[in-house]
Amino acid sequence: MTSRILVPIDDSDHASQALKYALDNYPDAEIIVLHVVGVPSMMMGEATGLALEDDISEAAAKRAKPIFKRAREIADEQGREISTVVGIGHPARQILDRAEEYDAIVLGAHGADWSRATRRFLVGNVTETVSKRAPVPVVIVR
Amino acid sequence: MVETLLLIGVVASIFVGFNIGGSSTGIAWGPPVGAGIIKKTTAAALMTFFVFLGGWTVGRNVMDTLSEGIITIELSLSAGVAVLFFIGLGILIANIFGVPVPTSMTTVGAIAGLGLATDTLNYTTIAEIITWWVVTPVIGFWIGGIIGRYIYPEVNQRVQIEKSDGPLLIFSRDSTVPKPTLGPNTTLSEVGSTTVVLVIACYMAFSAGASNVPNAAAPLVGEAGLEPNIAIVIATFAIGLGGFTIARRTMDSVGGELSDIPLLAALFVMVTASTITTLLSWIGIPISLVMATVMTIVGIGWGRATRPITFREAVTRNTKDREIVTGAITAEEMEGEPAAPIGEEEPEEVLNAGDLFNPRAIIKYVSMWIIGPSVSTLLAYGFFILVPGVV
Repeated sequence: MTSRILVPIDDSDHASQALKYALDNYPDAEIIVLHVVGVPSMMMGEATGLALEDDISEAAAKRAKPIFKRAREIADEQGREISTVVGIGHPARQILDRAEEYDAIVLGAHGADWSRATRRFLVGNVTETVSKRAPVPVVIVR
Repeated sequence: MVETLLLIGVVASIFVGFNIGGSSTGIAWGPPVGAGIIKKTTAAALMTFFVFLGGWTVGRNVMDTLSEGIITIELSLSAGVAVLFFIGLGILIANIFGVPVPTSMTTVGAIAGLGLATDTLNYTTIAEIITWWVVTPVIGFWIGGIIGRYIYPEVNQRVQIEKSDGPLLIFSRDSTVPKPTLGPNTTLSEVGSTTVVLVIACYMAFSAGASNVPNAAAPLVGEAGLEPNIAIVIATFAIGLGGFTIARRTMDSVGGELSDIPLLAALFVMVTASTITTLLSWIGIPISLVMATVMTIVGIGWGRATRPITFREAVTRNTKDREIVTGAITAEEMEGEPAAPIGEEEPEEVLNAGDLFNPRAIIKYVSMWIIGPSVSTLLAYGFFILVPGVV
């Protein structure tokens, strides 16, 4: 049975590194990238904007599209295919809620907003939370 | 000596006003600027005018509370300057760490700390203020929830906010008095909606003035040496200065958040938050415009996210047996699904809008509103105990 590897990504370089690492080190595995949209922010604008859409699934998919496009380009370079999943809300929670369906999680040391204290304050350090609580092995890439 | 101290006080007051101007201009004018309805410079000019109006009228009630309501004595000049420094410190911390620290609350905290240290705190007033601080976020959230669930979807179906290319109005110079006519692509309804957007932003600027001018002005009023009118003018000048300079950035950051929301929803948020802030300022309660805004945003989003059925389904009567999809049901539905072959999309999960509003994120905001004023109270208390000569 092929193993299933979850790679949570955002638009950061660390996320791209994590995806490359996963593609390199799990040549036979199925790679599934997850992107979370509607993340809590200082005034909750993003989350509310998404909530006000008529079709949330459609709107979420649209927002995740550029991120997945980039991920596919990385995979194409190695002649690999990836699957995509969109999550909404709190990144760490979204990753952990799905964790059991996968054999391992590969993620970047920190996301695009790691230096912004507000995001950190509201979202916490996603990588740290996932590595502490995930029921499956977690690989942290930097 | 007194002149030097007053000068330091005025500089501190300008620093406070400058920063307030940056953040509140971003909130009030971010949406219209983001929608391309108005230029940043024009926005700053309108901001300054309406802040002045708000501070000059309703703001006086808040100023009375700050300068003679919370403590039973009048603020001396040195005490007023010290209080301004604590307000400035709160702003500095907020700027450096990017954490939302509400200025109105730090101001009350600093003055209350002074009152505690000198045993002149008016407990009735401070209890009343704190009660409103507890009630207001709940009210904002609740009003937002109702708008998000029932009112916004209805209105959104009926109202279109348009923005055509080219100027809105053209002023023909044929006659001696310039006569405005509609721009090349302008429709009458666009003129209407643009007017509404601008009026609402002016209203928000007014409420920002009512609630925020006193923060910069009140510590220097009375025994401290400045006439209220002069203090209001200085505070307005400082807020305007912030509006013309750093607000260019905050309109993209703080205001950009409001632009993530559809303009129509942002207008609902602005009207609700401004009304709450203006009413409370009117009865003399210092309140944070940002707090009212955030709670209304969260309320609207939450109200819409927890709707039992989508609006489209409600309209087409295609409701079937839909209920709120909980995480448990989602997981069950997922279980029977075989893993998709490589290269194919994963089976589409049912996204639960409720996930967008994690209660823990909300609790973090609320904790900030408790920590901010508490810390400023403690710092001011410690300072005035250690340096009793200041009072």
